[in-house]
Amino acid sequence: MSITTLPQISAKRRRTDKVMRGSLVAGTVIALIPLILIIFYLLQKGLSTWSRSFFTTDPTGSFFGNPGGIRSAILGSLEIVALATIISIPIGIGVALYLTEYGKQSWFANTVRYFVDVMTGVPSIMFGLFIYIVLVTAHVGGVGFAAWKGAIALALLMLPIVVRSAEVVLLVVPSSLREAALALGAPRWRVVFRVVLPTAASGLVTGSLLAVARGMGETAPLLFTVSTAFGLTFNLSHQMNTMPFLIYNYIQSPRAVIQGLAWGAALTLVVIVLILNIIARAIAGRSRMT
Amino acid sequence: MEASATTVTGGRSVLERSPVARLPDRVLKWGLSALAAAILILIGYFFVRLLDESHGVFTKYGLSFVFGNNWDVSANIYHGAALLFGTIVTSAIALIIGVPVAVASALFISELCPRRARGPLSILVDLLAAVPSVVYGLWGVFVLCPHLLPAEKWFARTFSFIPWIGGGIPQLYNYFIAGLILAIMILPIVSAISREVIATVPPENKEAALALGATRWEMIRMTVLPYSRPGITGGAMLGLGRALGETIAVVLVIGAAPVIGHHLFSQGYSLAAVIANEFGEATGIHTSALFAAGTVLFVLTLIVNVIARWFVSRGAHGTRGTGATGMTIASAPAAEK
Amino acid sequence: MVVAASLVAAACGSSSSSTKTTGTAATGTTKVVSGTINGAGSTLAAPIYQQWGSTLKSHGLTVNYNPVGSGAGQTELGSAAIAFAGSDPSLTPADEAKMKGPVLQYPVAFGAITLSYNLPGIKSGLKLDGPTIADIFSGKITTWNNSAIKALNPGVNLPSTSITVVHRSDSSGTTQGFTTYLSDVDSSWKSTIGEGKDVKWPVGTGGKGNSGVAAVVHQTTGAVGYVEQAYALENNFTYAAVKNSAGSYVLPTIANTSAAASGIAVPANLAISTINSPNPSAYPIVSQTFLMAYEDPCKDGGLSSSTAAALKSWLSYAFGAGQTTLGAGSNQLPYAPLPASLAAKNNAQLATMVCNGSAIS
Repeated sequence: MSITTLPQISAKRRRTDKVMRGSLVAGTVIALIPLILIIFYLLQKGLSTWSRSFFTTDPTGSFFGNPGGIRSAILGSLEIVALATIISIPIGIGVALYLTEYGKQSWFANTVRYFVDVMTGVPSIMFGLFIYIVLVTAHVGGVGFAAWKGAIALALLMLPIVVRSAEVVLLVVPSSLREAALALGAPRWRVVFRVVLPTAASGLVTGSLLAVARGMGETAPLLFTVSTAFGLTFNLSHQMNTMPFLIYNYIQSPRAVIQGLAWGAALTLVVIVLILNIIARAIAGRSRMT
Repeated sequence: MEASATTVTGGRSVLERSPVARLPDRVLKWGLSALAAAILILIGYFFVRLLDESHGVFTKYGLSFVFGNNWDVSANIYHGAALLFGTIVTSAIALIIGVPVAVASALFISELCPRRARGPLSILVDLLAAVPSVVYGLWGVFVLCPHLLPAEKWFARTFSFIPWIGGGIPQLYNYFIAGLILAIMILPIVSAISREVIATVPPENKEAALALGATRWEMIRMTVLPYSRPGITGGAMLGLGRALGETIAVVLVIGAAPVIGHHLFSQGYSLAAVIANEFGEATGIHTSALFAAGTVLFVLTLIVNVIARWFVSRGAHGTRGTGATGMTIASAPAAEK
Repeated sequence: MVVAASLVAAACGSSSSSTKTTGTAATGTTKVVSGTINGAGSTLAAPIYQQWGSTLKSHGLTVNYNPVGSGAGQTELGSAAIAFAGSDPSLTPADEAKMKGPVLQYPVAFGAITLSYNLPGIKSGLKLDGPTIADIFSGKITTWNNSAIKALNPGVNLPSTSITVVHRSDSSGTTQGFTTYLSDVDSSWKSTIGEGKDVKWPVGTGGKGNSGVAAVVHQTTGAVGYVEQAYALENNFTYAAVKNSAGSYVLPTIANTSAAASGIAVPANLAISTINSPNPSAYPIVSQTFLMAYEDPCKDGGLSSSTAAALKSWLSYAFGAGQTTLGAGSNQLPYAPLPASLAAKNNAQLATMVCNGSAIS
């Protein structure tokens, strides 16, 4: 076929194109509808509870007095998730690097891949119970419940997500880039740290953010590992307050005022994760290929 | 990088590297291998502890724990077929609804929408991941369930000729709502990963398709989708994992009836939900039964992953991670004529 | 009651001298020892302990309570992860065997289990008796204008709406109290469905927690479900008047709930049960809730002697000044307090608590 005899686009193909493009638009709209509904609902029920004291005071636990704010929960969640992130992200990216750079399709790498996939299906409560049996009842570290144990449970939850998403992203770094760097004489480790990781950085950040968002929103792993505290504490060896726990606890209260606080906390949680998202994206910058 | 192509500072050939210089490479390789091995050991230990805690109920019931259908806590009888059924059904609904929508949104954002809208739209879809699971459940309870009930009743009446999907009396809490909420929850995961992968399709491939006269959709179908399929499948597997193991959101909207529901809109139960509901008050063999439910879920995920891998390996044509795409552009337009 | 509560509040506000060390006479006659203690367990009692914790915080005693469920509370006490457990049901001999040492149980408060329904036009006070309730919850009675319900309520215009039964989807002490009552009053219920924290409900929808049951009842016309008193009273539910063992139809008011605690048999280990109380003015479906701690929390519970002293002062407050916060007043928690005789027995039992064998100050 020469250039001058390229086939005209038939009406059927044009129609298919229009229909499919329309369905892609429809899919995106459908994806956004629940988001809008949920955000609207959260705003409706939670915004009215936002006030200065809401963010700057701790919960009192008082039933008929002033229920206080949610400060200790916000800071507790941030601290625990930060610890979980520090644990899970380097390890997760490390394992993903192993799988893509060294292990590839070996039986060992395939086994690791397989079991990491399986881990993504474990209910979050199982990680909490696992840590409960292994660390809490055995009083590891001299205490029963502790914030750092909750962080480990969360790290277990986040790890498979980081590994899997990092692996997906690392795999699409074109081998031509790696080969070029190797051909120029760079040692393997330099190729990894100077070429592969920076290229995949944006995708790695996305995957990590998914994991962090998951970590911030999970209640079950914390129930049996961190328990709770009303007051503010930064000590990781103590029980600590967390946002998902507070929401879970308050929403069951008979008092409507306290239930309202639960929605305010839910809205706060969503906003926090949104802010984390924006900051991380800004830092990661545009290192994507295209 | 080195200036000369064949020598480095010190006069050594670039192809030679001193043992000292090779050290970081070896450290990296063995370090990462050890890390991967450690993770495998951790997962193994997790599984072993799980089995340890649940062996009480398995010695009592054997396989009828999984395939028998009678979960009666007060009588201390634990057969969990209804739970397994609920987990499979709700996850299937989540995948069927969630993955196409997620991939469609990923394609739209990456390929079709105006460049300026890409960032904001991405952040919006990813925002779905920011909502805590307990909030999804509560929103389901207060908003979704009551509002969808009339529509569910209409659907059940109109499509009553379809077995299981139609007919029956829709309940307030049912499999469909649980599956729908799970679909919404896995959307951001599948969409985000799909987007990342779709964005790395080499532009030459796409341009080649367009240059040869393909329509926009044909270009997507022929270049983008095959190239990204392994990555999208990876995202879908993550989504499936989430759906299988989601606890809190499902427990609020599935109705907690340990029976095998006869219709799409019947009440049901799931393996993860039963743990959340009953662990707080469980003692003795009941606790063992709940750990056993976790074990069953673990094994289910093992099996599902095997099937999914087989499925992917059947379809992949060696497009993974390379620049080649292995497709036939020229034949497609010709066939359309 | 209200006066006493405000006195306590005033006393707390004005005591500035004794803050970090032992607070003297800060809460009635209870000496508050400062420290931090952790507890977990019953969800029914959670608002009580959280309220008390916030009061005691200003006196230096921090109490962290995790409402994770009576069973988990017992399990956590058994592994000494917490200092005290809250539990609605008392310990069975099997439960006691799992503890690290002898555990003392202290009844603390009582909460009625209401039958809340959603019938537009029908106010609180619909009369129901045990066998009728059992038939409703087992699916034998399916509409509100059934002859059995009509016979109990002559003169009430009952609609033909079908009954939607709502029960708890999660295991809970409330379910245990309710099903124990049904087993007591209806022999066919006892033999077919039985009692327990979680039973195999023949009909109905499950809601998670009191709030879940309340949500379904709220959204469904013709629904009936069992909801804890605190929840029902706070949210102005319509609930039934249930026939008690003496034959009267009683509403779940705080006074009628307190009556359930009087006149019941009290065993030596204080493991009482207030279901189907013989007291003629008692509401028949009342659940008790216990605080549980080791007899020797230092040896068996791993607490330091100062934490054990803090635990003792917490318990002392619970049966002492803390009781004044419970009641029907507007500034009180909607639970029934202990009768004086039971409080005295609690204090006597508390005096036997030791730390590594020696008495706690």
